[in-house]
Amino acid sequence: MADSTPEQVTLTIDSQTVTVPAGTNLIEAARTVGIEIPHFCYHPRLTIAGNCRMCLVDIEKMPKNQIACSTRAAAGMIVRTRSDKAMKARQGVMEFLLINHPLDCPICDQAGECVLQEFSYHYGTGGSRFEGQKVHHDKNVDLGPHIVFDGERCIKCTRCIRFCEEVTHTHELGLFSRGDHTIIGTFPGRQLDNAYSGCTADICPVGALTVKEFRFKQRVWFLRNTPSICAGCARGCNVNLGINEDRIWRITPRDNDAVNQSWICDEGRLSYQTYQQGERLGRALGSAAAGGATREILAGSGYEQAAATLGEIARKHGGATVAGVTSGHASVEEQAALKELIERAGGSRIALPIHERGDDDALLIRKDKTVNAVGARLVGGANCTAEELLTAIKTGKVRALVVLREDFLGELGAQAMAARGALDFLMTLDWRVTPTVKASDVALPLCAYGEMDGSVINFQGRIQLLRPGLTAYEESDPAWKPLLEIASRLGGAAVPKNFREAFRWAASRIPELSHLDTPALGKYGVSLESPAPGRA
Amino acid sequence: MTSQEYRPLLLKNIHRPDSTSLSAYRESGGYKALERAVKEMTPEQVLEEVKASGLRGRGGAGFPTGMKWGFLPKGPGEKYLVLNADESEPGTFKDRLLMERDPHLVLEGFLIGCYAVGCSRGYIYIRGEFVEGWRILLKAVEEARAANLAGKNILGSGFDCEIVIYRGAGAYICGEETALLESLEGKRGMPRLKPPFPAQVGLYGKPTSVNNVETIANVPLIVEMGSTWYAGIGRPKNTGPKLYCVSGHVRKPGVYEFPLGIPLKELIFEHAGGLLRETRPLKAVIPGGSSVPILPAEKCDVLMDFDSLAAAGTMLGSAGVIVLDDSVCMVDALLNLARFYAHESCGQCTPCREGCGWYVQILERLEKGEGRTSDLDLLLDLSDRIQGNTICPLGDAVAMPVRSYVTVFRDEFQYHVDHKKCLAEPAPAPI
Amino acid sequence: MIPSKATQLQIDAAIQEYGQARSALLAALHLIQQERGYIAVEDQAWVATRLDLPPAEVAGVVSFYTMFRTKPPGRHHIQVCRTLTCQIRGCRELVKHLEKKLGIRDGGMTDDGRYSLITVECLGSCGTAPMMQVNDDYHENLTVERLDALLESMK
Repeated sequence: MADSTPEQVTLTIDSQTVTVPAGTNLIEAARTVGIEIPHFCYHPRLTIAGNCRMCLVDIEKMPKNQIACSTRAAAGMIVRTRSDKAMKARQGVMEFLLINHPLDCPICDQAGECVLQEFSYHYGTGGSRFEGQKVHHDKNVDLGPHIVFDGERCIKCTRCIRFCEEVTHTHELGLFSRGDHTIIGTFPGRQLDNAYSGCTADICPVGALTVKEFRFKQRVWFLRNTPSICAGCARGCNVNLGINEDRIWRITPRDNDAVNQSWICDEGRLSYQTYQQGERLGRALGSAAAGGATREILAGSGYEQAAATLGEIARKHGGATVAGVTSGHASVEEQAALKELIERAGGSRIALPIHERGDDDALLIRKDKTVNAVGARLVGGANCTAEELLTAIKTGKVRALVVLREDFLGELGAQAMAARGALDFLMTLDWRVTPTVKASDVALPLCAYGEMDGSVINFQGRIQLLRPGLTAYEESDPAWKPLLEIASRLGGAAVPKNFREAFRWAASRIPELSHLDTPALGKYGVSLESPAPGRA
Repeated sequence: MTSQEYRPLLLKNIHRPDSTSLSAYRESGGYKALERAVKEMTPEQVLEEVKASGLRGRGGAGFPTGMKWGFLPKGPGEKYLVLNADESEPGTFKDRLLMERDPHLVLEGFLIGCYAVGCSRGYIYIRGEFVEGWRILLKAVEEARAANLAGKNILGSGFDCEIVIYRGAGAYICGEETALLESLEGKRGMPRLKPPFPAQVGLYGKPTSVNNVETIANVPLIVEMGSTWYAGIGRPKNTGPKLYCVSGHVRKPGVYEFPLGIPLKELIFEHAGGLLRETRPLKAVIPGGSSVPILPAEKCDVLMDFDSLAAAGTMLGSAGVIVLDDSVCMVDALLNLARFYAHESCGQCTPCREGCGWYVQILERLEKGEGRTSDLDLLLDLSDRIQGNTICPLGDAVAMPVRSYVTVFRDEFQYHVDHKKCLAEPAPAPI
Repeated sequence: MIPSKATQLQIDAAIQEYGQARSALLAALHLIQQERGYIAVEDQAWVATRLDLPPAEVAGVVSFYTMFRTKPPGRHHIQVCRTLTCQIRGCRELVKHLEKKLGIRDGGMTDDGRYSLITVECLGSCGTAPMMQVNDDYHENLTVERLDALLESMK
């Protein structure tokens, strides 16, 4: 393979020797040796603005301070980030930024993750010499469907403007006026309403742009972040779930160059709201005797009832009359467990409903609104469409159906009753009470998003981990547990005791995954395209 | 040559009737230099002449023009020469005079410059408020085009050069070369980060040199008379004729042309009529436009050229000589300038954007009699925090006067603190 | 409310002259303001479409430059220079005189729309201070008498 490593240069930063590829800016160069050069307007994913002046550093042989963000490392450069000259400039910038900045910290969402606060603490002088009138702007401006803008807090770093120009190419934002009345804004009457508007709040270093849905909800220092994957579409953006008191208060993106860079779409950002609405299925539902009314039962009885009924139907009408509905919303382990159960019962027909909306966009959004459709196909057994399955049910070829994380009947609309009537046995595993759950003979409660571990494979063929940050609701489980419990009663193997065992069990059945184990997946996942570690 | 014997070169036509017309210009020998350049000289030879002449930029920075042109890449390839006619530095009004009274001198110099650097489409950026100057220039360009002095195949030489005139819309900052380029590209006039410099990445991303009107007006002279002759005017490293704008408390304000290096006091007292009012003596002079350090009366024995003024701790700048008599309160004067810079700051970078407004508030307090001694040191400290830390020189342009006035006239500022009023005795407005 | 056909044609010509549509923005705004006296929000949206620019950028440009107005001025828009030389040559007294005579303050307009008054920064005419610009024209070497005569002549 041709050697494409760029030329390396060696320089000195704060007496430390640093070697970086030629062309690296000084902020990144300093980072490689753990030196923080404070900055506001610089963002590695956006063009250089160089306007905040916070990153001014002292470079030998240069009479004036230079901004580190736009200065490229050069061989032999001697940089001092803490010389008197640099510190004086930095303190100056801090003081200047604060003279017109409102004392909003007590009511500002950004507190606790505010770069201005942090740098004021680390690099400021601890007091202000300003006595006068601050410049006033509109506060609490409804800038877009998900964004509130506070004009007084804005430090005019222009990250938001550059984001809308360079990342979403939607150009809603601009700079208005001049001098210390400069302010960001939209064209009169227009909104900041691109599909990624929430990202402007992520990159805003202060509380000028904040997300409406999170406004005043939680102080960020109460939130514990669980790294996970967004389940809103087939991209599987890397996220942090901000959790307190066993509830998700916000979702924010995690950096992953391969999947979502530093971004997430608004729908994904707010997807946690879906799981906080509607009625949860908390306990198993079943009937004491065949044909009896369903009521809450112990999970164990549900497994028994299901195993017994499936076995009976298989004996009476043949194993092929047992079918399943898998889901792109389910994890690989759950999908593999469903296949195992159907096969143990003698069946093979498994439908994968399609959930598509709109189009793939040029940035992150996928029209496939499930996070793990690839998993369902890799697991094998997604071998018929929902329409084909429906036909099979109506013609009596399918008499028992196991539905995983799908509102199969609900989606059928007018045909639901006829379909239900044609089935001898319907079992559903889901996290909420859907029409399908209500019509089921046995319904088993599942963990919702954020309550369980699970591996999912995105459209790029990258396998990533969903992680739990919430306690499982009431009696709910990841679906592989009840499915394999039932399967074991039909002759299947012992039920895995924990997620890692469940993953290893599922991976051993899928050639593309057979070399993997959960520690290898880490926080950023693994591409199934690239050669596996340990392989030739 | 004493200043008494000096005959104007740049201003030689301005008093002629119909001085804006092509025929009048030609009658006085105009466009001979252009003809010589495009027919008898190569672009490199023209460039060398300008270099050898020692011509330094007349816009404020004083950078050697030939060297600046030399930074542009040689050979074919799109390049631009842009004329900076955004004259907005307080105290300066010489470019306007040239454009309104001798537009063809400016055009001829510009065309020769375009020839020298290899530019086939030159832009003139004129401040929006100069409506008359704009109309005059438009007409002059039309005349020049019609006479084959501009446009395609100039004077049959094979050299093509279109001149495009572009109006600004009210922004001092657009006099800064990269802000000017931004404005020319149809954007807010916010200066660019340097590097890269315009000579590498300029207008539309192409190599560009931005030059001042007066600078370019010197070029026909250099080409016609030769660099040696030109360099004989003034003194080494400070060569050529200079337009001095004298305004303020003088009897005869106006533009005066002399060789670089005329003594400041001679300029004021022998040519500009001396101080306006008998009873009000000289207090201070701003020698080079509002952005330069001020000279108190006792420091005004100085020669008006780049290096002499630099040695005196100030700058020739735009040669906007503002004369202040003792009716001027220096706190009030500085407040006026601080307000100017606060109004004109583009707002891009933190120290200038916030610092200008802060200066104004402190000076307002001092002016009103609500200031403290610590305010004076604060003003000095803020100047240290702003100067050298901004994207463009506007930060320096406000910091330098603040530092200068508070230092030179510290007593007066202190008086405002102690006595809550002006030290200077006002005089009735001379209207 | 969009520019007239005549103005649109002039804007077309400007686009041709500058080669890049975006460069014609300031010229287009000048032309619109010449016709209408100011630049309305609808004009800005129209220009944005015509030059294929984001509307927010057009509005940002309009708000940046001092000469661009978004509200109608008086028939005679009086802009008195207030920077240092003009100040020490008496512009404040002139402004006071104007405010008194016209019955308006700096930034205001007479009820009959005849005069509007603002103060502006250096107009590059320090040699003839104090001075002002009314609409497009410079009026220099002002005295109270000259000012009064000028006001009279402006109908």
